[in-house]
Amino acid sequence: MPRLSIPTTARLPSSLRVDPTNPAVHKILGRLSRPSLLSVVLDWLHEDNLHLAMPFLRRPYQGEDYYDEDEPSDDEDDEFADDFYPPARSPAALRELYISLQARKGSKREVLDRILDGDWRHGLTLYQLAMADLQYMHDHPTSQRWAAYKVVPLKLQQDQDGEQQLKADNESLSIPRFHPSTFLRNLQAQVLPDVKAHYTFEPHRTLPVLLLRIFVIDSPYNTSLSLQHGGMSATTFDSSRTIYIAFPHAAPYVYLSSPQATTVDPIQKPGPGPGVGESKSLVSLLLEGLPKALSRPLQRQRVTLQSTGLITRNLEELVERRGPGRTNFAGGGWSWYADEMKGRDQKRETPLDLVLPSPPDSEDVEGADEQREGREKRIKIKAPLEEQEEEARRRAKRVAQARFGNTAKMRDGKGVERVDVVIDDPFPQGDGDENEEWRPKVRLTFHGPHVFAGIRQLIECGIVDGERMPGWMTGEEGVTIGAVRHGRIRGHKGSGV
Amino acid sequence: MSTSLDDEIEALQARVNTLKSHLRIHTSTLLTAPSTLSLITSDRQLQSQSSLQQAHTQQCLYRACASITTFRTRDPDPRAVDSGSLLGLRIEVVSRGKFLRPYYVILNRPWRGHRHHLRVHRHTLPACVSVGGLAARYLPAPIGGDQDEDGEGEKGKKQDLARFARALRREVVRYHNRLGVVADLRRAAELAGKKNQEDDEKGEEQQRKRENMRLVDIRPADVEAKQIAIEWEDGRTGRLVMDDDGEIVKLVIVGENGRDHEAKRDLLGGARRVEDVVKRLAAIS
Repeated sequence: MPRLSIPTTARLPSSLRVDPTNPAVHKILGRLSRPSLLSVVLDWLHEDNLHLAMPFLRRPYQGEDYYDEDEPSDDEDDEFADDFYPPARSPAALRELYISLQARKGSKREVLDRILDGDWRHGLTLYQLAMADLQYMHDHPTSQRWAAYKVVPLKLQQDQDGEQQLKADNESLSIPRFHPSTFLRNLQAQVLPDVKAHYTFEPHRTLPVLLLRIFVIDSPYNTSLSLQHGGMSATTFDSSRTIYIAFPHAAPYVYLSSPQATTVDPIQKPGPGPGVGESKSLVSLLLEGLPKALSRPLQRQRVTLQSTGLITRNLEELVERRGPGRTNFAGGGWSWYADEMKGRDQKRETPLDLVLPSPPDSEDVEGADEQREGREKRIKIKAPLEEQEEEARRRAKRVAQARFGNTAKMRDGKGVERVDVVIDDPFPQGDGDENEEWRPKVRLTFHGPHVFAGIRQLIECGIVDGERMPGWMTGEEGVTIGAVRHGRIRGHKGSGV
Repeated sequence: MSTSLDDEIEALQARVNTLKSHLRIHTSTLLTAPSTLSLITSDRQLQSQSSLQQAHTQQCLYRACASITTFRTRDPDPRAVDSGSLLGLRIEVVSRGKFLRPYYVILNRPWRGHRHHLRVHRHTLPACVSVGGLAARYLPAPIGGDQDEDGEGEKGKKQDLARFARALRREVVRYHNRLGVVADLRRAAELAGKKNQEDDEKGEEQQRKRENMRLVDIRPADVEAKQIAIEWEDGRTGRLVMDDDGEIVKLVIVGENGRDHEAKRDLLGGARRVEDVVKRLAAIS
């Protein structure tokens, strides 16, 4: 460890060690469950990561390199004789030890103590902490609240509806490009010199998304000395200073995690702790730096980030609505057009299939006939009222299918938790004064695990009239914040692009 | 006993389904045959079915040959502009001798004073096609159309739906061709890898040279698939940039000691287009 810290503009190196007594280390590791903690430790001990996560080992007294210069091995044994967690001799031995821990039952505390007081008593590297944090994110996919931003060329102006006014030039045709390492270098140049950040890239395990974890500390130095003494209190090491950025593959969008999400986290102390305001300004600083880092001024391609009005905890929904696929601008009932029709249905949309397509609702024509016959038989048995109810329910289901298509199903895992809508329309008046418009301030907030699936269920139960329901209630625009004008959300002429 | 019965039921069910699909195919074949048409003149129901089938056949023919077709549809939203009537564009894409699922663009007419001005309402095009930019170029909004006025507004630029559709299709087809070329590159490289393992009897020197030439990864590196990232087994990485039409703009290969011009010459060998590289790769193996 160098004795001297010199202010620098470089980023924090991954190999920088944080003292295990630091509360941030406890916080990051402590919120992992025992199995995932063990799997993270085994990841650390993997050969690829070992150089950045070296555990505290006994000096190899039989090694050729240390043969003559070392003290006698007996002394070393004495050194760790009264140690509760004697250090292992090699990473391989340690790996076996943790695998055996994985096999048997025990408390999380045991593993945690072993890591902090035993095998990594000399400190955990920032890289290790990043891995642990990312593991937590994979364990709790909804722990972060993501906001989707579109990467657009800088020159565009916005009109009063917040829509793009694209000009007929070549610039509006260009699609922004993203290169991770160039982006990181530029971003580092944008970050202020008295703020140090540690960056980790990791591909998401299931989704086509590249995650970037940015961990920020307030210190102009990038040595471990600054981590230990330079005001390394819990506030500056707060996990609200961790920011995630996700880059979907093959799509000009960026998802940013909002820092409020971490303060909501139950593990953290409730209430606005010190440094929350600071971290907000830090995020805004980063937000300003992001488009500059994505821009390529030498090629005269400057970009900016544009909010798309979609904020959710569900990354899968974001990939669906702001991702590389076809469903970006075709949600709700329009999803039929975006449906790739894999498998059995694949043949149906090729022009080479000359079989007359049947309407989707009467899939099996003969079956429908049989059903109808059966229904006619049942009419005689059942009371007419009951039959009417059943007919209404069937119709409601069909209407819901027409409005929502195959989206907004309860178990598709693509739900938004909160939708805020402001109604800007005047109150519907009967006949009378047209001059006197009354615009009540109506603000609607839908809240739940899967908002639009809930609305779909309401239609299927017959509580909401699916035919008269406005289009923004189907979620087809893919926004969670919006104003309704002329009965339509986002852009009062229809959605546009 | 019960499981065998279940299996039997399942098999029968599957057979019923295949027979049904056969029945549908035969129906449509029979209905389109000219000899059947003369036979069913008396039956009303059959005739209507036959005319439906003929319309569908014609549509399929247009779709297969023209590759851009239009259709009319309705917006289920009760508050939709223009009482929900929409115009759809269907853009067919063929890749590797197969029709893919077509891309759709749904247009509406939101300006009351300008009945013939269209605007993109929904679309399913991939993110690499700048639909907004193309719409701004070929489907400009009428001037003064925002006010929702009745009557004639000031005349803006003329919209050109045909050129818009053509430009969209061009972009989509280019994109799929670029993706196809990347897939071809991959296939050629994988082929090279397999053959390398086979011919062990060749000279060791040559063998090692080939080992180093072995590519481990080729993938599109950006949204538009205009850049291809190439990785060699010995850790070298390369980036091939092509333009819209598949001409090679630039190829950079970086090894341990900086730029590797020799590998670049090896890979390109005077190739101007990416397809030439595919051929070269296939030939090398």
